[in-house]
Amino acid sequence: MSQRLEVGLRLQVPGFALDVDWTAGEGVAVLFGPSGSGKTLTLQCLAGLVHPQAGRIVLDGQVLFDATAGIHLPPQQRRVGYVFQGYALFPHLSVAENLAFGLHGAPRTERARRTAAMIERLGLGQLERRYPRELSGGQKQRVALGRALATEPAMLLLDEPLSALDMPLRRTLRDELRSILSEWKIPAVLVTHDLAEAYQLGDRVIVYEQGSVRQAGPRGELLWRPASESVARILGIRNILRGRVLEASPQGIRLLWRGQRLEAMAPPEPTPLPAPGSDVAFFARPEDLRLIRKDGPPPDPVHHTNLLSGSLIREADFGATWTLLVRLDEPGAPAQGDYDLEIEIPRFVYDTLRIRQDRHWQLSIHFRSIHVLPS
Amino acid sequence: MSPEILSAIGISARVALVATALDAAVGLPLAYGLARKPMTAKSAVELLVTLPLVLPPTVTGYYLIVLLGRRGWVGAPLFGLTGWSVAFTWYGAAIAAAVMALPLLVRTARAAIESVDRDLERAAFTLGRSEWQTALAVTIPLARNGIMAGLVLTFARALGEFGATLMLAGNIPGRTTTIPLAIYTAVETGETGDALLLAGALTVLSCLVIFIANRLGTAAP
Repeated sequence: MSQRLEVGLRLQVPGFALDVDWTAGEGVAVLFGPSGSGKTLTLQCLAGLVHPQAGRIVLDGQVLFDATAGIHLPPQQRRVGYVFQGYALFPHLSVAENLAFGLHGAPRTERARRTAAMIERLGLGQLERRYPRELSGGQKQRVALGRALATEPAMLLLDEPLSALDMPLRRTLRDELRSILSEWKIPAVLVTHDLAEAYQLGDRVIVYEQGSVRQAGPRGELLWRPASESVARILGIRNILRGRVLEASPQGIRLLWRGQRLEAMAPPEPTPLPAPGSDVAFFARPEDLRLIRKDGPPPDPVHHTNLLSGSLIREADFGATWTLLVRLDEPGAPAQGDYDLEIEIPRFVYDTLRIRQDRHWQLSIHFRSIHVLPS
Repeated sequence: MSPEILSAIGISARVALVATALDAAVGLPLAYGLARKPMTAKSAVELLVTLPLVLPPTVTGYYLIVLLGRRGWVGAPLFGLTGWSVAFTWYGAAIAAAVMALPLLVRTARAAIESVDRDLERAAFTLGRSEWQTALAVTIPLARNGIMAGLVLTFARALGEFGATLMLAGNIPGRTTTIPLAIYTAVETGETGDALLLAGALTVLSCLVIFIANRLGTAAP
């Protein structure tokens, strides 16, 4: 994938500093991170609405901004389509007038033709005379996309495009947005703080925190190989724990945690192996932890690696799943507040194993489910 | 109706219309600038514009004489060049009324412009419109009701102006005597019938203005 967009931004405002460098190719680059991490500010810099103090923005070989060369193209000259959070449709203009707003420089017939083409392409046929307040959330999204795309921009920016919508509609429109984005062969930068949205829509994910990039890479890498403990926390990964390395080889890592020996997978190349004796962070997803049935054969070390035992101290009902908080039998301070591990199980397992009555359990963690984080 | 009353109504209408037009020309760009542009000495400009709202009208009127009177800073050179002065003319009354009503327009219009979502203006910029085009196509149409309400209030305030007008334009029947000044004269000379008639007319007009301004204020853009 060739790089089409190069971004370097340095911007200091009272109480906040933005300092980021990243690149993106064709397809969708997602800026993911907690609110207040500088994602929207980055979009505004890309669009030319905000003037950074230093840095450089190059899109398809054209320099949009270069602080040292004194180049700062105004938003009107950047050919960048912007879909605002909440869509920012002009409330006093009809759908057709909104779509044609960016075409005012074109001759009348050209403008009419392109507006009609966009109405056709986005299936807005019955709505052209309506006003934004008469549209549903999904229709507003389509008009906002159409208005930005009608100018045939060189890049599309989307700020939390789905956050204004209700949950069930959100899923439908996520699919719709994905198909529209893949249809236009231009780089798109999308801001979100929703992990599912980032994973579904992004070809590449750039993780922001406090005005810096913490990780940038293909979406799969992000979810399965977070670059650090802080990225894992931003991603909302649970059971992030700290242990000591006893042995480390390409075949696996042996950890000491809460007085237990744990076998873990070695990180994939080219991440270096942690040094024996060092402290590392690792995680085990709650859904990867296994309770061992009491009516089956006793656990054997070949099939059940990382065997632990403990008591349930609390649980929470999430409808389709239950989350159980377990404290190990091993004496000592619990790893996460008043518990050691969080386990997620389907509702039917909770019922069949009669967990409400039976509070003491053995559990195992497959060695492939323990991920050691680079330090 | 006596000819004095008829002439006062005519002068008042003329004064209030001209004052409103003056305020629209000066006050709307000022309101836009205060709402949207980074301005040096923004608070000083704000202070100056708001001052007539707080100062006794006679003090504002006095400053206007110092500025525009026949021996004023601006008035003296003007008189030297043209032999003409705004003092004791209905133009003076219009200027006094405009200065007194300006804060109402600037404050109302500024609030209306500030209430326009900035993302709408940003959207217009990314769609290729200049700031000037954006103001005309987006900001002002969306702030229209607030601006209209401001103009209506300005007209009403100009119609009722007394103190500053008296200072700069005097109370010359048939030339500068507006309705409020005519009421004052009528009460002084015991013509209570005329006073009651004019006071009643102004009250009805004010009620109408408040009603219109409120309607504009609550109507969706």
